[in-house]
Amino acid sequence: MDAVDLRVQAGQFFGFLGPNGAGKSTTIKMLTGLLAATSGRMELLGLDFQKHAVEVKRQIGVVPEGMGLFERLTGIEYLRFVGRMYGLDRATTEKRAEELLEFIQLADREKTLIADYSHGMQKKLALAAAVIHGPRILFLDEPFEGVDALAAGALKSLLGRMTERGVTIFLTSHVLEIVERLCSHVAIIHKGRLVAQGSLEELRAGIGENEGEKKTLEQIFLSIVGQSGAEQARLEELTWLT
Amino acid sequence: MADVAHMPGVFEQLKLVAGLRWHILKNSLRKKNNVLDLIGMIWVGFVSAAVVIGLSFAFYAGGYAFVEKNRAEWLALLYWGIFLWWQVFPIFVAGFGSNFEFATLLRFPLSLRAFYILGLGYGLADFAAVSSICWILAMIAGAASARASILPAMLLVSLLFVLVNVTIERLVGSWLEKVLAKRRTRELFLGLFVLSMVSLNFLNPAIQKWGRGPRLKILQFIPYLSWLPGSLAGNAVGAAARADQHGFLLGTAGLLAWTGVTSAMLWRRFAAQYSGEEISDSPAPVAMKKREKKQFVSEERPGLVSPQVAAMVAKEFRYLRRNGFAFLTLILPPIMVVFFSMQFGPGSVLREHAIKPAVFFPGIMAYLILILVSPAYNSFAYEGKGIQTYFMAPVRFRDVLLGKNLFLVGLVAVELALSLAILTWRIGWPGAPMFAATVMAGTFAVAGQLTIANWSSLSFPKKMEIGKMKGQRNSGVAVWTAFGVQIVLGGICALVLLAGQWTGNPWLAPMVFAGLTAAVIGGYVSSLEALSRLAEAKKELLIETLSR
Repeated sequence: MDAVDLRVQAGQFFGFLGPNGAGKSTTIKMLTGLLAATSGRMELLGLDFQKHAVEVKRQIGVVPEGMGLFERLTGIEYLRFVGRMYGLDRATTEKRAEELLEFIQLADREKTLIADYSHGMQKKLALAAAVIHGPRILFLDEPFEGVDALAAGALKSLLGRMTERGVTIFLTSHVLEIVERLCSHVAIIHKGRLVAQGSLEELRAGIGENEGEKKTLEQIFLSIVGQSGAEQARLEELTWLT
Repeated sequence: MADVAHMPGVFEQLKLVAGLRWHILKNSLRKKNNVLDLIGMIWVGFVSAAVVIGLSFAFYAGGYAFVEKNRAEWLALLYWGIFLWWQVFPIFVAGFGSNFEFATLLRFPLSLRAFYILGLGYGLADFAAVSSICWILAMIAGAASARASILPAMLLVSLLFVLVNVTIERLVGSWLEKVLAKRRTRELFLGLFVLSMVSLNFLNPAIQKWGRGPRLKILQFIPYLSWLPGSLAGNAVGAAARADQHGFLLGTAGLLAWTGVTSAMLWRRFAAQYSGEEISDSPAPVAMKKREKKQFVSEERPGLVSPQVAAMVAKEFRYLRRNGFAFLTLILPPIMVVFFSMQFGPGSVLREHAIKPAVFFPGIMAYLILILVSPAYNSFAYEGKGIQTYFMAPVRFRDVLLGKNLFLVGLVAVELALSLAILTWRIGWPGAPMFAATVMAGTFAVAGQLTIANWSSLSFPKKMEIGKMKGQRNSGVAVWTAFGVQIVLGGICALVLLAGQWTGNPWLAPMVFAGLTAAVIGGYVSSLEALSRLAEAKKELLIETLSR
């Protein structure tokens, strides 16, 4: 990572995009304390992360790459554990854990170990664990990957409700349609460097959009990371395939 | 229409699969740790080759001697040895882990015949198969050196014997793969396996006590073994050596029948796999039920430890409950206490040389601590991706370590109490000073190890999986660290106990141990902050190693 100067306002639904291997997950890991940055400075909620790591972590929720679940616990046991680790009292933890499990439709799998959940179920549980303490910032690394349409709809409503209440959401996803629909602001990282940042309108203006033509986020993304047209050229070389 | 010019033949496919395995091995050596593994593999390979070659000489000598002394039917013993090795060794190596590598080949356009032959090819490339074939060849060479005329019969019989063995081994392997693909079954099998290994310890005392009757009953079963491949092969070769054509044909026909039946069964198993048999765990749909709203009373009583430490202790308990192997290690110490007291205590065959309670108590305590505290040197082994939670949550790592350590201490305390109670019942009371010295020495040894064990867990983590045996070992550095610390602490304990005896003061040892325990607990408490910083510095290593 190099020269990533990122500013996210409170209450924004922020999409963090980039091609594979660009550094999205690495950025999230650094912002959430899973990876130490070799240089630079990170401030979350006005607090220096290095100096106030515990205080910052208390106010953020994370769905990391790989989800970070204890696979030998059941869903309810994991939520109880996380709730207590975040300092919630026993009754609040219990209440929220049950409500969240009900919301993500895993309440009837109370005896099933997380190891036996499907990928989508694990993803939903990881999200439930990330919000159990009512975080002020939510970091989500590919939250919709492997989640069915029903659950994705429910998650989107949940996230929408959270932003309405002033929660900042920082999300990475390869599904640009979802990012376009949900996020008010977007940043694009490429080869470890931040190459664009702003609202969708600002990004459109940045690439010199013609009047009357409204480019999609996918078109903006391809144009910024310099892949526009290259795909077509490469495809034409595969004459035996077409 | 796809642009496929021709379908590769079976042997071309075998070559491709061999090439694939070679590339996987070569590419896995790119990492430094894997190069160390390669050095280890070369060393193991060297030792294994020496054992195989050494035993080949023994099989050559056996084959030569039996035929030369007109006892060719005794070759059945050698065939039996090879049969047992070939069938049992792969089960131990498989280590109760599911292995889908072979079945993944099914995504390629293979015919069932090619899949079957590839399966047999895999079976013949196993270490057990290669070593067995080496020994069979050595045995044939030995027998033929003694009498050249026996060579054609031995070649035919041995070829059939190899076919039977490789087919049975693949068949058992395939069944095991199916059974062990389910996590719960895998864990159950592992538990039963460990229990059966433990119960072997009681075989000798049982034979000593009730030996004669069962031994005679076992001997009555031996004639039935003549229908099994080892005896059939030995009998066929023996008959050929006596020029008994009827006996030779009978033995060969028996082996052919075995080959036919096991091949048909293996064909059925592979056909099931070929047609896409689903053997893995996948969650079944569950109907949603209407739930009643619960009432939650928000009342938090202050506890002895923080909620985070309490949560850690609860989580550790749940993990232990679901780790059949670790759970069994808890049953093991009291069982071993009973076993040791049967073997070496008063009333054992040692009689007047039986070990006295004053020696038994500290000895058993040392044994228990050796077994129970060793996992603490790699205490994050089973966390998997969950390790990330510790770094995401607003906790200082000292709370994580404290929770893990408190749970272990509780566990050791329960085990010690139980084992010492059994010991008192079995061999008697060692006297209050020795009892106090044993308990204090135990406390000192456990507390003394925890600081180093925490450091080792953070510095040399190694991922392990519940319900698996294969590859489930701590890092070499962690093993040597544990070994060194246990020797040092054991030495200190032995010196203090001996000092008590030399001075004739029975209360000296408990008092010295009390002082030492206070000192190591002080050291432990002051180490927690430093270990928290170490965890922060090592978090990338921990996450990368355990989330893999």
